[in-house]
Amino acid sequence: MRRLVLALLPILACAPAGAKDTGRIFVSNEKTNNIIVIDPNTYKVVGDVKVSRRPRDMHFDAAHEKLYIACGDDDVIDILDVATLRVVGKLKTGPSPEAFAMDEKRRRIYVSQEEGSSLAIIDIEQNTIVREVPTGAEPEGVLISEDGKIVYVTSEEGDLLHAIDADTGAVSRDVVVGSRPRRLAATPDGKDLWVTAELAGQVDIVDRGKFVVTDRIGFLPPGMRKADVTPVGLAMTKDGKTAYVTLGHAAHVAVVDVPTRKVVAYILVGKRAWGITLSADEKTLYVANGLGDDITIIDTKTRKAKVSVPAGRVPYGIAVDD
Amino acid sequence: MVSRSMTKVAPSVLLLALLAGAAAAQDQPPPQQQVKIGFVEIENDPRYEPLRAYERLVLKRRERPITGAQVGIDEAAALARVLHTDFVLDRIVAKSADDAATYVRAALEAGTHFFLLDAPAEAYRPMAAAVRGRDALVFNVSEPDDSLRRELCAAEFVHLYPSRAQLTDGLVQFVVSRKWRDLLVLEGPAPGDAASAAAFMCSAQKFGARIVAAQHFKPGTDPRDREQNDPALLSAVNHDFDAAFVADEAFDFARTVPYHLARPRPVMGSIDLEPVAWHWTWERNGGPQLNSRFERRSGGRHMEGPDFAAWLAVKMIVQSAMRTRSVAFASQRDFILGDSSFDGYKGLAVSVRPWDHQLRQAIQLAAPYEVVASAPIEGFLHRTNELDTLGDDEPESPCHLNK
Repeated sequence: MRRLVLALLPILACAPAGAKDTGRIFVSNEKTNNIIVIDPNTYKVVGDVKVSRRPRDMHFDAAHEKLYIACGDDDVIDILDVATLRVVGKLKTGPSPEAFAMDEKRRRIYVSQEEGSSLAIIDIEQNTIVREVPTGAEPEGVLISEDGKIVYVTSEEGDLLHAIDADTGAVSRDVVVGSRPRRLAATPDGKDLWVTAELAGQVDIVDRGKFVVTDRIGFLPPGMRKADVTPVGLAMTKDGKTAYVTLGHAAHVAVVDVPTRKVVAYILVGKRAWGITLSADEKTLYVANGLGDDITIIDTKTRKAKVSVPAGRVPYGIAVDD
Repeated sequence: MVSRSMTKVAPSVLLLALLAGAAAAQDQPPPQQQVKIGFVEIENDPRYEPLRAYERLVLKRRERPITGAQVGIDEAAALARVLHTDFVLDRIVAKSADDAATYVRAALEAGTHFFLLDAPAEAYRPMAAAVRGRDALVFNVSEPDDSLRRELCAAEFVHLYPSRAQLTDGLVQFVVSRKWRDLLVLEGPAPGDAASAAAFMCSAQKFGARIVAAQHFKPGTDPRDREQNDPALLSAVNHDFDAAFVADEAFDFARTVPYHLARPRPVMGSIDLEPVAWHWTWERNGGPQLNSRFERRSGGRHMEGPDFAAWLAVKMIVQSAMRTRSVAFASQRDFILGDSSFDGYKGLAVSVRPWDHQLRQAIQLAAPYEVVASAPIEGFLHRTNELDTLGDDEPESPCHLNK
């Protein structure tokens, strides 16, 4: 810790230890059961925190004081103190938590439980599972509507997108999407949901009002085979103009112009790229290469990889403290 | 290229229209329908007797694959709501092959169209006669016999279990990719051993490997038969070899081959490196999730090839209802046998070959604790689908169900 603070001093001259917006990069590693912390300027590993087994999806609270980490093999969400890099709490979940979304107003977490075929609604303060909602098998991507009333969840095995009423915990609507739906993004206008369909090799666009698939976007980076195009991760800019999609075994990130729904560029990354995160200023894109044991850091302006940084084994997700 | 992308577009447009239509009709949920799936097995099927050493030691317990089908039914639970359809498994234990055919005839009359057949090769001829020209699809979930795909060639069958040719092609692709071109064959006395050795030798010819010797072994401990029951003497041939292939359904001889050859060479076939439809250590494409659903359902058993085929059969039936938004048998059958592809959790999407109704699928080359490789091995190319480098491709197949 001390070394980290010293290293940051020249850049953030007035920043006290543990300040927000450090830009530090947190990577969860499924097989080494740790979170590594990377300095955004030197790309050196400045922290390595042992957490519960199989850490996957991660989210900061609004103040960026705590980092919540879903740990699939211990059925918990670890709470990491961002300043001290210590695990300060654990929230119990059902079997194999994978991805989640946080509603800070309601102090709730909605987490997909891969092996439980359910979505757990967790009360953060009480550390209790308020409700478990049955979903299709292998639920994954979780997204909360802007008003907090609807939770969207994909079922990988069921090829379904569920809309769940956050208050009653009832599935209100289902829509069949492309094969093996993984993760979700909402357009800022509130109209559409983008869903990656890994085996269909496409992104499905779901109209949130009608709850039907209205369009599909396919991908094929030059020189790649269609069978290797396995879209998983998804990030969208706040202006709703650009989306970035990781293409898994095709080792590229697709850049999509959202209004025209056209792929405008492909960026080469590492092996089995899944996890993807945009920096707050949207100038930098971080991609976790699951089978390359590294992450790729991309300049969104030039659309080129700046550097690849070794992570732990099977990096899943990236969270940036900015 | 153009015509390929056209065929891709057309079904998805159709699907969008179907989905939109389904949503419009969502206000009044239609009544719940039922799709019955018969799981037909035969009493005292020798393939499920435990494999024993010459004494009472059990080497391998072999379990029926019904649990695989049950996992498929479990997975359909969420879809039951969306599709307003329940999928129901009906297990039938027949006394004999003829009894199985009689049952299927009666079930057809009663409105069941889908059957999973878990039976040895001799059950297929009476079954083919029972379903010929009828509204039935019979999924072969456990029998690799090539003649079912070649000579019998029945339009109502869908072979989800790999053929012997697919299995040995996968294995030989691997050995050739490692440049192990000189191979020794050790063949046992069972008819299945002969079929397996023959398939292996065809695969070797297909992919340019050489058989340096094909030896027949005779299981036992009689010293007068030592030339035929001692792996060291059987493998003391004039040519060096890179690997030994053992065909031994009974397994008691195969287990004595590793570490007992005249030369230090890897062993494959019935032991050590086995070509399989599914292995419990498969770590990619959702394998761990499927394996753990299976292990939970079976009380801790590892998922094997027939379990995989039974699971996939149910999944294909469910998918056909989901993607066509219909439980009309004709449209489900056309979907399954058509250009559709399915998520087989093995990478390249699986689909049914129109000429012999064999499932195109990857073959896993499994060591006891690791899938060493998944065939098609990189570099074995095909003009349309690399999965067709495994098993009988259209020009070689004597079965032409699509013509």
